Parts: sequence; structure tokens; C-alpha cells
Amino acid sequence: MRRFLVLTKAILLVHLRERAQLFWNFAFPVFLLVIYAAVFGGDDLASFIAWMVPGIIATNILAFGLISSSTLITEMRTKGVLRRLQASPVPTAHLLGAYLLVNVLSCLLQLALIIVVATLFYGLRVPPANLALAAPWVVVAVLVAVVIGQAVSSVVGSAGAAVVIGQVLYFGQMFITDLIMPIQYMPAWVQRVGPWLPGYAIAQLVRPPLQEGVLSPELGTSLLLAAAYTLVAGLLAARFFKWEARA
Amino acid sequence: MSDLILEIDSVYAAYGRPRSLFTLGAGGAGRVEALRGVSLSVARGEIFGLLGPNGAGKSTLLACVEGLHQPEAGMVRVAGLPPAQAKGRLGVQLQKAALLDDLTVAELIEVYAALYNAFPSRAQIDDLLARFGLVEQRNRLARHLSGGQQQRVALAVALAADPEIVLLDEPTGALDPQARRVVWDLIRGLHDEGRTVLLTTHAMEEAEALCGRVAIIDQGRIMACGTPASIVAGLEVRPMLKALTELPLDQVRGLPGVHSVRYTGQHLEVETSEPQATLPALQALAARLGRTLGEISLRQPNLEDAFLRLTGRALTA
Ligand SMILES: Nc1ncnc2c1ncn2[C@@H]1O[C@H](COP(=O)(O)OP(=O)(O)OP(=O)(O)O)[C@@H](O)[C@H]1O
Ligand SMILES: [Mg+2]
Repeated sequence: MRRFLVLTKAILLVHLRERAQLFWNFAFPVFLLVIYAAVFGGDDLASFIAWMVPGIIATNILAFGLISSSTLITEMRTKGVLRRLQASPVPTAHLLGAYLLVNVLSCLLQLALIIVVATLFYGLRVPPANLALAAPWVVVAVLVAVVIGQAVSSVVGSAGAAVVIGQVLYFGQMFITDLIMPIQYMPAWVQRVGPWLPGYAIAQLVRPPLQEGVLSPELGTSLLLAAAYTLVAGLLAARFFKWEARA
Repeated sequence: MSDLILEIDSVYAAYGRPRSLFTLGAGGAGRVEALRGVSLSVARGEIFGLLGPNGAGKSTLLACVEGLHQPEAGMVRVAGLPPAQAKGRLGVQLQKAALLDDLTVAELIEVYAALYNAFPSRAQIDDLLARFGLVEQRNRLARHLSGGQQQRVALAVALAADPEIVLLDEPTGALDPQARRVVWDLIRGLHDEGRTVLLTTHAMEEAEALCGRVAIIDQGRIMACGTPASIVAGLEVRPMLKALTELPLDQVRGLPGVHSVRYTGQHLEVETSEPQATLPALQALAARLGRTLGEISLRQPNLEDAFLRLTGRALTA
């Protein structure tokens, strides 16, 4: 147990110290919030913020899984750290557990920062009951995004390509899955395609409990969709996982 | 040899899969046979060196012992156990430093020790860092260390959990000559503490200075194995007499003790089994022909010569 804690702490420190990670995980979502509030806030800032903040949180979860988490594992692989860990007697399941735990913790920290900034500067009011209701679904959403990111990292050999593909998958979904643009104002094809993407499922898991303190009426569908993506991504991640960078 | 701690028997190892439908055409062509029937054993408390050029298979052999690479055939036993079950007994330094860049040196020691369920106190960590000359770097991030410092951290990390068997892949690869000697002393210290050390190197002077026994490995095969002296003696490589001179080769060849002669540049090189007899005869020949002998030197044969003899190639490119 103590071994698990030391390992978790170490990976968390790495996560929190890396500059690029810091920027994308913590600065960028706040920056997104500021820009969006300034551009689209309009007269009814309060209800805009109430809708937008859960969206930014869901967006951040997606970005975190597809870009940050995937990059971190790819770097650990390239540097030979994974191989060094593999040489240690720690069971693979513990390594995986520590890694996922760090991902969830880091992501929760990021989301807390977004909520704090929005509360202090934009008058966001999220009742504690909403937070409590949302918390387990946020964790589920983080795991979904992280597993998809791991699939990208496992399948794509090179670190550079993994980042590019992660970004394509992220930016591709950013505007069309009801994350930070309401899908009902989007073209018909987006309304048809968007709901089938993992970003939409994440938005459905996170927004209704945070914004309104209720679970989405589409929760079942979203969970099914998320489970399907997670299953496929998990199988890909495991099948193509490498401890060592390809030569 | 009752107390064998590492046993390696007829190990074959390869990279890349045989071509198959499932790998979509990858593999097959890219297949590399890294080890082709390697057998050796290491006794408890030995310093054993794997000496060989780039690509010989040294790291692959260590990987088989570390449980990082599954041999295609053959058997590996670490303290009688299959490698996968013996990981906790090994102190491992990989060829790549493999440090988490955003941790400090002290944090790295702590976390790598913890992986082995060892939790050294602050004083123990400081002690380890002092041994490796890393006290000033204690609280610096790994990413801000020089290559040589990172290598020393990797060595310290390998010892963090007080292992009985230490596997070092090119432990002095990135070190300057002075740091190299410090590491040699540290490795001798491990030996004095009764630990077993298996290390790789392509520097024959390192193998000679450090290792009780050495295996010369080339293209996945062990070419010779034993103490450095016995390897050299066993191959009948002879001392080399060298002089700056101009003498006809056929006349030198007839001198006592001489086995072979050649010129490298202006220097005559005479391989001889009796240098005490050859040198005066050479001087007499030179005097008779009115030539001079300059820059005379006698070099005892070493592992480098043994390697050249065994493989037909020089050890260092
Ligand atoms: N991950 C890998 N994928 C494919 N081939 C590999 C891999 N690792 C090593 N090889 C090949 O296997 C052979 C043995 O490599 P190995 O790393 O064991 O040599 P080495 O003796 O450690 O060399 P060096 O002194 O350069 O470290 C080489 O031909 C190398 O190209
Ligand atoms: Mg090597």
C-alpha cells in the first residue's frame, strides 16, 4: 500500500510539474472561460456561465484524456521510464491503478480550478448537492476520455504523431458535441453526427447534474455509448500497448 | 561453482515477429536475432562483465535476466527462479537513464526504492547520494542534470533498494575518465559487500580493471568466457614488440620467438612469444644492416587483442 502511495505521488508530481501539461491542463481552460464569457456572455451572463462552465469542464476532460494523458504515457515510454517500471516487481495492475488514479486526481484539480474561477469572477453558483451528484459521473467521464487517449498512445507509435492525432480528435469534437456550442444551433448534419461521438456522451454525463442537479434523460444512452467507446479503446490500448518505444 | 546465482542456458532471443497475417506485413523482414544460443552462469559475489561491440546482444541478454524480454528458447534462472519472479532481487540500471524528468534526485531514489518495497530514511538517501557524489544535486530536477550526473543517478537508483544482484548496462558509458574511476570504485565496493554484479561494457580496460570473469559476446554468441587473463592466454595472443624502423620483413620473421610481423605506418610490429630473446636479436639485425630502432615498446596482449583474434574485427569502431 505504501508502495502504491509513493508511486501515485511521484506520477502526480510529474503531472503537476511539467510545464506544457500545466498550461494545457490548468491555464488553457481558464483562458477559454475568460474568452467565452467576454465574447458570448452578453446580457444574460449568469445563465450563459451556468451552461458554459460544465461545457468547459467536459471539454477539459476530453482534452485531458486525448492530449495530456496520452502525451504523458508516450513520454514515459520514449524516455524508457515504462521499461524501468516494468523491470521492477510492481504488478502491472498496480502501475495501471496508480496511473488512472493520478489522472482522476489531476483532472479533479483542474475542474475545481475552473469552478473556483467561475464562482469568484463570474458569479457561478453550483449548489454542493449538484457537485455531489456530478462527482461520480465526472470520474466516469475522465476514465472514458483517458482510455480513449491511451488507445491513441498505444496504437500510434511516435510521440509527435500521437499528439497530433489526439488534437485532431479533440478539436474535431470540441464544437460539434454540445460541449461549448449548443448543438441545437448547429447544422443538421452536426445534430445527426454529434450525439454519436464520445464528447457528446461526456457532456451528457457532466452537464445536467452540474447545471441543474439532475441526471440527463439520455443518461442510459450516453453510458452505453461511453461504454462502447471505452471497451473498443481499452481493447486497442491493451492490444497495442508497448513498454518500450519502437525502434 | 556451487553457488550459482544466475544461470543462462542456450538462450535464443529475437526482435520482431515472424511475418503473419495479424501483423499486417510488419515483422518478418525486420526480424533481428539478437541472441543465438547463449549459455553462461554467474556465481554469487562475482563481478561478471559482458564485453562486446554495439549490437552484440549485451542489453538483450540483460533484458532476458530482468524479465523484460522473453527468450524464444532456452532457460534463465535468477537465484533459482524464473526472471518474472525474481525482479525484486535485482538492482537494475538500464542503458537509457530512464528517469522521471520532473522529479528531484532525492524523490527519484525514494520512488524507485518504494517500487521494491524499500523505504529508505532521509539519512540513508543522503548516504547513497554522498556515495555517488550527488549531494549538491539532491533537490534538483532530473531534467536539469548533465548526462553524466543522470547516469550516476541511474546507478544510485539501481542500489536504492539494497539489491543482492546488480545489473548494470554500460554503467560508465556517459562518464568522464575521472567519474569512471569513481564508479569503478563503487562497483568494487558492491563486490566487497558480497553483491553479485553483471555489467556490460565495450571498453576492454573496464572489463580488465573490474571483472573477475568476462564473456566476450559478438553477434549474439559468446566467443570466449573466463578471467581476462585466461581468455588472453587461451587464445595464444602474444606480446607485441613495436619499433620505429625500416627492416626487411622476411629477415625479421626468422628471429627467435617471432610469430608474425607487419608494418603499421612507419612502425614495425612483431608478435613474439619470447620478447626477451626477440628484442636483442632485432637490435643485432638493425646494427648489422646499419638501421636504427626508435620508439621501442612492448605491449602485453589484452582483451582487445583477444577480441580481434576471435572476431576478426576491432572492439571499438
Ligand atoms: N527493440 C528492438 N527492436 C528491434 N531490434 C532490436 C531492439 N533492441 C535491440 N535490437 C537489435 O538486437 C541486436 C542486439 O541489440 P542489443 O541492444 O542487445 O545490443 P548491445 O550489445 O546492447 O549493443 P550496444 O552496445 O549498442 O548497447 C541489435 O542488432 C539491435 O539492432
Ligand atoms: Mg546495449
